[in-house]
Amino acid sequence: MKTQSWFKPYFDRLSSMSLAIALLTVLALASAIGTVLKQNQDQADYLTQFGALWYNVFVSLGLFDMYHTPWFFGLLVFLMVSLCVCLWRNVPVFLKEMRSRKVVITDKSLKGFHHLKRWKLDGVDAAEAKATVSKALSDWSQKSEEEDGRLYIRGDKGRSHKWGYILVHSAILVILIGGWLGAQYGFRGTMTVVENGTDNTIRFLKGTKTDQLKMPFDVRCDSFFIDFYPTGMPKEFRSTLSILEDGKVVVDHKDIIVNEPLFYKGVRIYQASFGDGGSAVTLKLVDPTSGKSRSINTEVYKTWKDPETGISLEITNFRPFNIENMANPGEAKKFHDLGPAVEYVVRGPNLKSVKVKSFMNTFTLDGQNRGHMIMVSLTGDAGDYQAYPLGLDFDQPTDWKLYTAFAEALSKRPDQQGKEANFAAFREAMTKVFGDQKRPDDFQERGMRVLQAMGSLSSLPWPYIPMLEDYNQMYYTGLELTQDPGMNTVWVGSALLVIGLCIMFYVPHRKLWVVLKAEGKGVEITLGAMTNRNKLGFENEFNQLLTKVDEALRPQNNNRSAA
Amino acid sequence: MTAITASRFTLDGINRGLPGFARFCTYLGAIIGVSAYAMFGPDGYGDDGLLFFLTASSFSWIGIGALAGLATGTALGMAKPSITESKASVNIVPFLDGALLMILLTAVEVLFEPAADAYNYLDQSNLLSGSIIMTMNVTLLASALLYITHLFAPASIVGRLATASAWVGIYAGGSALLLRWYESYMLDVEIGHAPVSNLYEVFILLFCITTIVYLTLESRYKARAMGAFVLPLVSAGVFFGIWLSAHGHAEIKPLVPALQSYWMKIHVPMNFVGYGSFAVACGAGMAYLVREHLEKRGAKASLLAVFPSLDQLDQLGYKAVAIGFPAFTLATILGAAWAAEAWGGYWSWDPKETWALIVWLTYGAYLHVRVSHGWKGHSLAWWTVAGFLVTVFCFIGVNMYLSGLHSYGRL
Ligand code: HEM
Repeated sequence: MKTQSWFKPYFDRLSSMSLAIALLTVLALASAIGTVLKQNQDQADYLTQFGALWYNVFVSLGLFDMYHTPWFFGLLVFLMVSLCVCLWRNVPVFLKEMRSRKVVITDKSLKGFHHLKRWKLDGVDAAEAKATVSKALSDWSQKSEEEDGRLYIRGDKGRSHKWGYILVHSAILVILIGGWLGAQYGFRGTMTVVENGTDNTIRFLKGTKTDQLKMPFDVRCDSFFIDFYPTGMPKEFRSTLSILEDGKVVVDHKDIIVNEPLFYKGVRIYQASFGDGGSAVTLKLVDPTSGKSRSINTEVYKTWKDPETGISLEITNFRPFNIENMANPGEAKKFHDLGPAVEYVVRGPNLKSVKVKSFMNTFTLDGQNRGHMIMVSLTGDAGDYQAYPLGLDFDQPTDWKLYTAFAEALSKRPDQQGKEANFAAFREAMTKVFGDQKRPDDFQERGMRVLQAMGSLSSLPWPYIPMLEDYNQMYYTGLELTQDPGMNTVWVGSALLVIGLCIMFYVPHRKLWVVLKAEGKGVEITLGAMTNRNKLGFENEFNQLLTKVDEALRPQNNNRSAA
Repeated sequence: MTAITASRFTLDGINRGLPGFARFCTYLGAIIGVSAYAMFGPDGYGDDGLLFFLTASSFSWIGIGALAGLATGTALGMAKPSITESKASVNIVPFLDGALLMILLTAVEVLFEPAADAYNYLDQSNLLSGSIIMTMNVTLLASALLYITHLFAPASIVGRLATASAWVGIYAGGSALLLRWYESYMLDVEIGHAPVSNLYEVFILLFCITTIVYLTLESRYKARAMGAFVLPLVSAGVFFGIWLSAHGHAEIKPLVPALQSYWMKIHVPMNFVGYGSFAVACGAGMAYLVREHLEKRGAKASLLAVFPSLDQLDQLGYKAVAIGFPAFTLATILGAAWAAEAWGGYWSWDPKETWALIVWLTYGAYLHVRVSHGWKGHSLAWWTVAGFLVTVFCFIGVNMYLSGLHSYGRL
C-alpha cells in the first residue's frame, strides 16, 4: 500500500490485534448480559422487577431482547469489518511467505535461532555430505543452493500452517454471513394443531411482540400419540402429520418425533411440545349436603358458568395419566398411576378462587378403596397442590346412604364421643342401610371412608363438588416450523473453522537449515531449526534431528553404504 | 535446571514402527467397521445404543474391519517404512490401547454384577458401578494428596505413586461409566442409554478426561509438579460428585425425548474434552503463578527445581488450550447441529449456548493475547485461571442460576 491516504491509520487500527482482543471481550460481556437478564418475558414482570426508572433504561437499550438489537448487530458487523481488513492485509503477506523460501541464510540470522548446532566432521566431502543429509531428511520438503563455497539445504514441514489462519478467520466471516442470511430470510415459529385439525399459521416473537406468518401449505394432525416411562416421564411423543396444498394432500400420514423432523419445500417441521387440545369432559356436580348430583358437559379451556349460584369453573387441563411417587420420603420409590384427572379453577361470589385437580377414579392405598380425592392449590400454583380426600366413593350409592345414616346416628348421641360412640353409630348405620342381611365384607373400609367424609365433606365451602365423570381426550401437537436459508452456509463455515483450527494448532511450520562448508579435510556442519508452535516438543525433535544428521554423516556409515 | 527433560516417550518401542502402525490401522479398521455397521448394517442404528454393539453381526463387522485394517497397515508399513513414524499414529495409539484396556476391564467387572433378577430400577443401590465410582473418588483424592506431597519430596517414590493412583482413578472412573451404560440396559431396555445424560455422569467423565489430558502432558513433558494443581481441581469436583450422589442425583433415569439422539453421545464427550483441557490449562496457570511467587520470595532452590520453568509452564498452558480450543469449537458446532435437529434452529441464545460462546470468546481472546506483544506469562497465566472460572460457570453455574432449554441438567 504505497498511497498514504487519510484512512490508513483507521485501517491499521481496524486490523490491529488489540482491537480483535477488545472485540472478543466486549462480545463476551455483551452476550453475558442477555443470560443474566431473562429475555423476552412479560413486560409487566419486568416493570415490577426493576421499577419504572430502570425498566425504561433497559427498554431503551433493548436489553429485554438484546440479541436482536441494532447495537448487538453493530458489534457483529464491526467484527466482520475487522476480520475483512485483517484478512485483506495479512493474506497476501502470508501467501508470499509461504511461496518464497529463501535458502541462503546469513550467519547472523542463524545466530537468532533457538535451536542451533555447529560441529565438524573429518574425512567427509562436502558434496557427498549434502547428498547424504538430503537423503536423511527425506521427510522434509527441501530446497538447496550453493553460494560462496557453502552448501545450503533448507527443509520445511507444515508449510500450510498459515492456511490455518486464513481458514479460521474467513470461516468466522462465513458463519456470520450464514447467520445473517437466516435472520433475514428465514423464519422460525410455533404452530399448534389439535388432533384432526388443520392450521397454516405460525406464531413467533418479534422483538417483544407476537407476530404471525402464513405458510404456503396446511398442516393436518392426523393423530398424536404419547408414550410414558413407568415413572410417568414422557418417553416419546409422536405426531402423524399430513401436508395439504390447495386442499390436495401432498404429504400423507408422516410420523415425526423429537429429533426427527419432517422436511417439506425448505421448511422443517419439528415435534416440539404437546398439550390438551380441548378435550370434552363430563363433570358430575355432587351436592355434599344431599348427595344428589347432576352432570354437565364442557371442554378444556372453556369456562362453565352456573347461572343459579354464580359459580364458574374454568377448565384448565386434562390428563389421562397422573403417575405419582407414592413412597414416603426415604423409602424406595413406588410409582402409581392415579388415573385421569381434570384441573379447573373455581370462582364464585364469596368464594376464594382456588385451583383444583379432580380425579375420576377413587384413591387406592395399600389395596384399600379410600374413596374419591381432589387436590387443592390455594395459591393457584401447581406446586402447591395438597391432597384433599373426600372419603366417599361417589360411584357407590350405598356410601352416601351409609354416610347420612351415620351422621343421623351420631346426632342421636350428642353427649357421647370417642371411639365407642363412633362404633355404635356405625353399627346402627350399617343396620339401617343393609338391614339384617349379611354385612358386606369390606365394611371396615367403608367405615374408614365414612369417617373421613365426616371431616371433609362438611368443611367444603362450595355448594357442589365437581368430579370427573367422563372424558373424550383430544391432544394438540406443538410444532415448530423453520426455514433457514443460511444454515448450510453456517455448516460450511463451521467445517472450515474446525479444519483451520486443526491446521493452526497441529501443523506447526517447522524450518531447518543445514549449512555445509568444506574445512580442511572435513566439513563444518551447521544445523539450525525453528518452529512457530509447540516449542516444548520441538526441543526433543531437534535433538533427534541432530543425531540423525550426525549419524548419517559419520565416515563409517558412509563406508558401510559404499560397501 | 528444569524438570522437563528430553526423553519424550517412555514406551517408545511398541508405539513406533510397524507394531505401532499396524495396531493403529487395526483400531481404525474396527472403528470404521462399527460405523459402517451403524449406517448400513442389517438393523441399522436404533435407539438401543449398547445392545447394538453387542449383537453377533456387529462383532463380525468390527472383526472384518479390524482384520482389513491390520492387513492394510502391515502392507503399507512394509512398503513405506517412513509412514510408520507418522505423528498421528504414534500419538494416538496409546489412547486407543487404553480404550481397549478399559473395555476389557469393564467386561471383567460385568462378571461381578448382581444376578439379572436383582436389577431394580426403584432401588439401584446394589449396582456395582457405584462402588467402582467410589474407588475412583478415593484414588483421585489420594492422588491429589500425593502430588502435593511430591512438591516437597521430589526425590521419593511419592511422585510415581501419585501418577499411578491417577491412572487407577481414570480406569476406575471410565470403566464405571461403561458399566453404568450396561446396567442402564439391564434395568430396563427402554431406559438404557449412554452414561452422559446427567450432571453426575458427566462429572465422572470430566474427571477422567481432565486427568487423561494432564497425564498426557505429564508423561510427555515430565511436568509432574503441575499435578499438584490439576488434581486438587479434580478433587474439588469429586467432592461435588459425592454431594450429588448423596442428594439422589446419581440414579440412572430414563431419557427425556429431547436427549434421545445419537448426537448426545458425540456432543457431550467432545464438550468435556474442552472443559477438561481448560482445567489443565488453569492448573498450569496456577503453577506458573505459584512458581513466580516463590521466585520473588526467594524460595529454596530444591522446591523451585520441582517446577518446570516459567516459560515451560506458559507453554504447557498454551498446549492445553491448544487441545481444548479446537475440541470445544467442534463440540459447540456439534451442539448447534443437534439443536438444528431437535429444536428447529442451530442457535437460540439459550443460556447454555450463550455461555459456551462466552467461554469460546474468552479463550479466543487468550490466543490473540498470546500472539500480540506486550503481554507476558503472568497475565496469560491469570487469563487461564479466569477462563476456567468462566468455564465452570458455563458448566455448573448456568444449571444452577439460569434456566433454559438445557434445563434437564438442572440441580
Ligand atoms: C471470533 C473471531 C476470531 C477467532 C475465533 C480467531 C481465532 C484465532 C486463532 C485461534 C488464532 C491462532 C492463535 C494461535 O496460534 O495461538 C488467531 C490468530 C490471529 N488472529 Fe484471530 N480470531 C478471531 C478474530 C480475529 C480478528 C477480528 C482479528 C483482527 C482484527 C484477528 C487477527 C488475528 C491475527 C493477526 C492472528 C495471528 C496470526 C498469526 O500470526 O499466526 N483475529 N485467531
